[in-house]
This record gives sequence, structure tokens and C-alpha cells, in this order.
Amino acid sequence: MDSPALTVAVRIFRQISRDRRTMALIFIVPLVVMTLIGLSFPDSSVLQYIAPALIATLALFFGFLLTGISFLRERSQGTLEHLMASPVSPFDIVVGYLGGFFIFALAQTLIILLYTIYVLQVSYHGDLWQIFVFQVIVIIGAVNLGIFISTFAKNEFQMVQFIPLVIIPQIFLSGVIWPVEQMPDYLQWLAKVLPLTYAVRGLRDIMLSGQSLLDVWVELAVLVGFAIIVSVLAAVTLRRSA
Amino acid sequence: MPDENAQPAVEADKVSFNYERLKALDELSLAVPKGTSFGLLGPNGAGKTTLIRVLVGLLKPKKGSVRILGEPPSRKTSHLIGYMPQLHSLYTELSVCQNVEFFARIYGLGKDTPKRVEEIIRLVDLWPRRNDAVQKLSGGMRQRVSLACALVHRPPLLFLDEPTVGLDPELRVTFWEYFLELTRQGTTIVISSHTMDDAAHCDLLAFIRDGKVIASGSPENLKQAVGRPGATLEDAFLHFVRRERGGNG
Repeated sequence: MDSPALTVAVRIFRQISRDRRTMALIFIVPLVVMTLIGLSFPDSSVLQYIAPALIATLALFFGFLLTGISFLRERSQGTLEHLMASPVSPFDIVVGYLGGFFIFALAQTLIILLYTIYVLQVSYHGDLWQIFVFQVIVIIGAVNLGIFISTFAKNEFQMVQFIPLVIIPQIFLSGVIWPVEQMPDYLQWLAKVLPLTYAVRGLRDIMLSGQSLLDVWVELAVLVGFAIIVSVLAAVTLRRSA
Repeated sequence: MPDENAQPAVEADKVSFNYERLKALDELSLAVPKGTSFGLLGPNGAGKTTLIRVLVGLLKPKKGSVRILGEPPSRKTSHLIGYMPQLHSLYTELSVCQNVEFFARIYGLGKDTPKRVEEIIRLVDLWPRRNDAVQKLSGGMRQRVSLACALVHRPPLLFLDEPTVGLDPELRVTFWEYFLELTRQGTTIVISSHTMDDAAHCDLLAFIRDGKVIASGSPENLKQAVGRPGATLEDAFLHFVRRERGGNG
């Protein structure tokens, strides 16, 4: 007996990997973006400080975008509805989609991480595997956020409008560019409910200060909690939107 | 011949459904006997697709009740249902084989999957194209893949939403040969259509208009109700539409 979630994940993997242009873009876009970022920071000390935040931000951005658009296509083409008429539970569907998209989001994150370290020569103090595990949690949240937010879009145009709403405020308010502590009080409160704040803080602590996953357990716990909440919301809203 | 004493395969009792302010189903009732081909016939917007989506459990009726093989629609009954949506609803990047295999595994065919996938793709006459991506196939071929996905787990009850739309006459005949063979084997088929050609093939029909069943019965009985020799199903449909208007007016 096949696991429904695994069957869904394998199907998504096959579907995306058969599309050569999508595959090429998945691998080339992070390389192009990181090259441009590297060239735009002639002062390497600034890049050293901002690199962990960029790695976390791009993981959130690419994970959200890849999943949101792909999942929306499933809704608009009727394939999700077809699946909802089958015996597969909404939970299995969400876990299956998470599994399928996760592999590609992970590949993009790995490219960004390794390019930053080995090509842009950004030094890090923590263990590479701990940086990687932390990023995995960020991606799980991003992928499920994409599935959940796609509930509110009826077409690709509407989905793209969610990028400035969901991603851009996080870039400005989560300490990527400007430290959260130097923002007005009300914005600091807002920053506390944004997952990217915890992703940026945790990754900076690991990469710049050499802390371990245990040291950043608060950030990790918030990101795990966020991933669970958006997974549940994605499963609950699945039927409504199919 | 269908056994009239048997429990209906599908029962809808005073089912209503609204899309916000738009009334799609209005206290609609029908019963589909087991082993029959049952046509839902009506113009576009009559409520046929909404009714099928309610029957397969995708939509919850606002009022009334539905029973599928004696039970309310649930994950348990979805094992017994084959559903062919109006859109092809296929994964166009995947091959014919991969699409059918996906649905076989979703419905828990397990080790039987490869054998059954081959059997069903041969049945819809697409074996030579089994490794082609669905996006490279014609509309008629996609319809056949969609039908294969609905049939792969051998469901006793099939819901086919406008399965013959866009098919050439030859393929339409082929499809009806499949459907008749399936009903001979005991499968119940609920099929929506707006063409009289499809209606003529069904054992029983329900004429649907404005979310209501305005008449139901065998094609012969419906034609006889017109009261004119040589009346067609089209005449019968118009006859019942006028009668309904007269009744409402």
C-alpha cells in the first residue's frame, strides 16, 4: 500500500523535473541573484554582516514563490479538485505537496548557501550542518506559507500581488537591512510576529557568533511553531478553495 | 435490466446549494438505480456540474441530504467513486502512464498498479502513446486519459461531467461503447450532458433546469409524455420546460 503523501510528493517531483525550463530556472536564478549581490557589495565587511539575513530572506522568498505559484496552478487547472474527490485526506495532500516542493526549495537554498560561503567567500563560525538544519526549518515554513496564501488568490496575477504584501514588509521590518532594536516601538512589536525576524536573528547568531542550534532554541521554536500553524491553516483551507 | 427494488446507488433529497447569492440547486431530488446509466440533461448553467460536485462530496449542500451507495459522501465512499471532472484535470507535464499510475496509487491499488495501468490504458486505446506527455495529446486523447484515471480503481459508481464535450462523432461512439459495457458489468454511471445524442444512450434521464429536476424517466417515457408521435428528446425537454413555466406562472 502506497503512502498517499509520498505518492503526491513523488508526482510533484516528477512533474517539475520533467519541465526542463523550470528546472533550469530553479538552479540558475539563485546563482544570478547571488552573483549580483556579491558584485554590489565591494566592501566585504558589510557583506559578511548582511549575508546570513540574505540567505534566510531568499530561502523564504524562493520557497514561498515556487510553492505559491505551483499550487495555484493546481487549483486553477482543477487537478486539486480531482484530488480532493479522492480518498486522500487534506493533511496527506499538504504533507505531500510540502515533500514535493521542499526538495526544489532546498536545492535553491543549498545553492545560495554554498555560493555565499565558497564563491563570495563569506566566513562563518558555526557548523555548516547546523546552518543547514536551521534553513530547513525556514524552508518548511516558507513552502507551507505559499500553499496557504495561494488560497486567497484566484490567478497568478493575484498571487504575485501577495509578494509585496507578505515578503517585502518582512525584508524591511525583520532586521535584514536595519537592526530591529533601532526601529520605533510599534514596529518592533510588529517585527516580533514576523517569522523572518527569527530566521535572520537565528542564522546571524549561528553564522556570525558561532552559536549552536541549542543556543538559538527560541528562534528555532518560533519557526517550528510558524511552520506547524501554516501547515494546519493550509490543510483546513484546502477544501474551501479546491 | 436494472433491479428496481435494489437500494439506489445515488439518492439526493431536496438538495439546495448557493454560490453566494446565486441559487445553483433548488430542493433537487433524484434517485439513481444501481447498474444504470443515468443522464443529467440540461442547458449550461442548469446546475449539473454543481450537482455532481455535491454528489462526489466536493461541495456540502446547504439544505437536504445526499446518499452514495447508502451512505453520506465521505472519504469512505470516495473509494467507491470514479470522478471525471469537466476540466481534463490532468498533470500535463506527466506522461499518460504517470497520470494513470498516480491515481491508481492514490486509490490504493498497490502491487496491482502496473498491471491495472496497462490494462486501462489499452482499454482507452492509448498504449502506443503511453510515454507521451499529456500536453502533446489532442483534446480527445486527453478525455480518454481522464476517463482512464476515473476508471483505474474499478469503481462501482462513476460520475462523468460532460465527458463527450469536444469529441468527434467516432470517439463519442467509442466512449458510449465503454459506458454501456461498464453498465453491463454492473457499474452505475451518472453522466451530465447538454446534448440529446448523449441523452439517447442513457437508461434513465433527469431533465435539469434552474437547479431543479423538471422531469425524469426513461428516454422513451419522456418522449411519450409529449403526446405526439415521433417526438424527440429535444421536444420532450422543451415540453417540460414549458410545463414548468406554466406551472410557475
